[in-house]
Amino acid sequence: MQPSITNAMLTKFETEKEMSNKSISRTESGVKIIRTTSTFDCGGRCPIRLHVKDNRIIRIEGDDAEKSEQLRTCLRCRAFRQYVHHPQRLMYPQKRVGARGQGKFERISWDEALDTMANELNRVKETYGNEGIFLATGGAYLAGLHNGGFAAQRLLNQFGGCVTHYGNISSEGAVWASLTQYGSVMVGHSRDDMLNSRLILLWGWDPARMISGTNTMYHVIKARENGARVIAVDPRYHDTAATVADEWIPIYPGTDTAVFVAMAYVMIKENLHDQAFLDKYTVGFEKFRDYVLGQEDGVNKTPAWASEISGVPAETIERLAREYAGTKPAALMDCQGPARSAMGEQYNRCAATLSAMTGNVGRPGGSACGGLMGIPVGHMFRMSAIPPGKNPFEMDGPNVKGTLDIRLRVIKRVHINTIFDAILKGKKGGYPSDIKMMWSMCNNYLNQTGNSNKAARALEKLEFLCVNELFMTAQARYADLLLPVTSAAERSDLTRPWPSGPYFTFMNRALEPLGECKSDFDIASELAERLGIKDFNPHTEAEWLKMFVELNPEYQKHIKDYDKFREEGIHRVKLPEPIVAFKEQIEDPENNPFPTPSGKIEIFSQRVADLDKPDTPPIPKYMPTPEDRNDPLFEQYPLQLLTPHPKNRVHSELYLVSWLREVEEHRAWVNPLDAESRGIKDGDDIFVFNDRGKVAIKAWVTGRIMPGVVCIFEGAWYNPDKDGVDLGACANTLTKDAYSGGGAAVLNSSLVEIEKI
Amino acid sequence: MQIGFYFDQTRCTGCSACRVACKDWNDVPAGPQNWMRVLYTEKGKFPQPFVSYMIAPCWHCAEPLCAEACPVDAITKRAEDGIVLVDSEVCLGKAECDLKCLKACPYDAPQFGPENNAKMHKCNFCLDRHLQGNLPDCIEACPVRALDAGPLAELEKKYGSNKEAVDFKYSRRTKPAVVIKAKKLPRALT
Repeated sequence: MQPSITNAMLTKFETEKEMSNKSISRTESGVKIIRTTSTFDCGGRCPIRLHVKDNRIIRIEGDDAEKSEQLRTCLRCRAFRQYVHHPQRLMYPQKRVGARGQGKFERISWDEALDTMANELNRVKETYGNEGIFLATGGAYLAGLHNGGFAAQRLLNQFGGCVTHYGNISSEGAVWASLTQYGSVMVGHSRDDMLNSRLILLWGWDPARMISGTNTMYHVIKARENGARVIAVDPRYHDTAATVADEWIPIYPGTDTAVFVAMAYVMIKENLHDQAFLDKYTVGFEKFRDYVLGQEDGVNKTPAWASEISGVPAETIERLAREYAGTKPAALMDCQGPARSAMGEQYNRCAATLSAMTGNVGRPGGSACGGLMGIPVGHMFRMSAIPPGKNPFEMDGPNVKGTLDIRLRVIKRVHINTIFDAILKGKKGGYPSDIKMMWSMCNNYLNQTGNSNKAARALEKLEFLCVNELFMTAQARYADLLLPVTSAAERSDLTRPWPSGPYFTFMNRALEPLGECKSDFDIASELAERLGIKDFNPHTEAEWLKMFVELNPEYQKHIKDYDKFREEGIHRVKLPEPIVAFKEQIEDPENNPFPTPSGKIEIFSQRVADLDKPDTPPIPKYMPTPEDRNDPLFEQYPLQLLTPHPKNRVHSELYLVSWLREVEEHRAWVNPLDAESRGIKDGDDIFVFNDRGKVAIKAWVTGRIMPGVVCIFEGAWYNPDKDGVDLGACANTLTKDAYSGGGAAVLNSSLVEIEKI
Repeated sequence: MQIGFYFDQTRCTGCSACRVACKDWNDVPAGPQNWMRVLYTEKGKFPQPFVSYMIAPCWHCAEPLCAEACPVDAITKRAEDGIVLVDSEVCLGKAECDLKCLKACPYDAPQFGPENNAKMHKCNFCLDRHLQGNLPDCIEACPVRALDAGPLAELEKKYGSNKEAVDFKYSRRTKPAVVIKAKKLPRALT
């Protein structure tokens, strides 16, 4: 997210009257109905109406717009009140009294808590310098004002700086690919455009479960009902495939690019590709063609070659290539999951290259690919937030704006999937600093980045760990100091749809803070006073929010009546026609070059060639990786692990909510062939393990996953027993803390074995 | 008049938003008591599995055998709209009457909590919402608009008269108030 207002702009603001109360309606029984949204990193952003009585949410209703306009929330927010009022919410500050990680804490006052934190910040700064402080922020609260990440960054920047991380766990492969190919991350179509598609390829995409924007699955279903043929290419027959797919093509994880390349081979050999489109809008197709036809490395990328790698029959690849090239328009829907792998960005780049070869870029009913699916109306990347200012620690670093060179990004920062390795190894391990203390908020990275056992070891090593949290998460257990924070229901704030609109949302505070909870911004503000930082938070909540809207050009373009927006909790943008990424570039290329150096779609990227890195070739390529099926480790660990989004929580958020927990038991998907050969029956307790760790989980024996692949949904909380077996079955106990050439977190390239307990 | 449900099985992803919304609106704790269940069927083998879901609320039958079976007349059917209601205060409890309503119901609609001698509860078509002219909460909760509700005759007019599907068999004895757009089972699996 890029905050779009600056410190200088803030001073111009004039105090406005406090918010009026029109957003609240009252029923006869004294129940207030508050219009708001949640702030989860969930894939959607849905208007919800909270029924509140005596500072408790007693019921929830969804959007009450005209039926055709309704943005319908999923099961997660239907259980929102159990999350907000959960008996295990942290309600007061606590300090550690047992061994670190043991989870024993004692209640303390806010004064003691804030004094402790201020003292530790001062101590570490004086002893080791600001570089000893690590700030870990995440996507658990996606709003502009009370977002702990921006507030803490602003505070620490004014305190002299800190080290922080680069990138996010979800989408770096897709971001890198989109920037390389198109020079833009706005590669999506508004979802209604799928109704223009005649063929939809769900390639590693399961919106029924991971949402991908409110109402997306609804539009996929409508597209199918409108006559589109739907093919799912995925190691699993997931919920979306089970609902809409005419055909399921199972494929080994990490091998999508090989099949794409072979599809290109078929198109080139059979002259099915759109050469005129390639000539007009792209650069470098010849180099890609040479690679595909083996003129670069002597390997013909035939369907037989890809079949060997991917497990997809050669004739299926041929048929798929002909069908995709011959059906116009066709939407190849790549996503981010397959890109969270050892060469993940190649998947999105190669998908985008196929899209250009078939002339589906910039075309209604087509898809530019790139995996991000965002549109430039209401996009989260353009939200307003507290201006963090500049980090003094990074002032002497390289300019990384827009760079494709991940090496530059990790000179002053730590890649998100190596945070714990950086804590363990410090400067000697090539990291920017020796980390002595960590301040964590809006994340549970021990649980949600690779190699949880290593993360636990790293957290044990820290001199001090302060965690702002709502719950005693896997990571919070390792804290020295726990600061209880308010939920989204206890805050007014501005939110954006995930990953895009066309609409904007406003959160109206429904509850006074529960217990002694404070917002992350309030915590940072109170710390600022103790650290002697002046003017850290010069405005009221109402002033900040109005200012965010008034100073953001996108809000200004669409929102003419701020009070109406706030009272309704939403502003919907009416589109005259569906948004199609790069439509202008395709319709009028002379006047609308692509924002790349060449002004065209870069199938060959000179910027990437200049990096001269073997893991990021200038054209998209399939490359073997560690822990693929050809790795010698495969002998010992012959199953590939997938770690997709769970449907009944948001990553690791909502994990304790019982209405959601009971919807789906946490189980490992195992194909009957793999189960039978190991004496495993449906419902058996099994170990899933590799050299990084061992989890205990129930087996779900199902024909919905291909042989050779096991699936554990991410986000269950890490809970090691005395022998180190993770009884919570956190998927990341088994994954690797590594990143790809384009910066993708490598979370779907893990080999494992399973056995009956 | 008889109210009823419409279910489009071809749209249902099994997400369970209906089930969670039901628990929220009616304040039903987590546990065995589920007024709206989502049934799952998986047939066939890799690489051609068949998957379907079927909602399971109370179908507010025209002939509610549960009401006849209840020894204390705790179950009644409203004349004006056919909604079948249970008075949990009157119910004897699952241990005392040995689950007579549940045994009479072909659809397992009567629901009981985990406690000893739990009283019966079940879907009441969100009567409070119905009386205010609103649809049951599950209907409005469905993210893919697979659900509808209203007067059964109107639903039949709008959606046809099919009342058979995977995980649902129409009971001629009870006459459940439902219309279903069924997901087709591949011939090889029938």
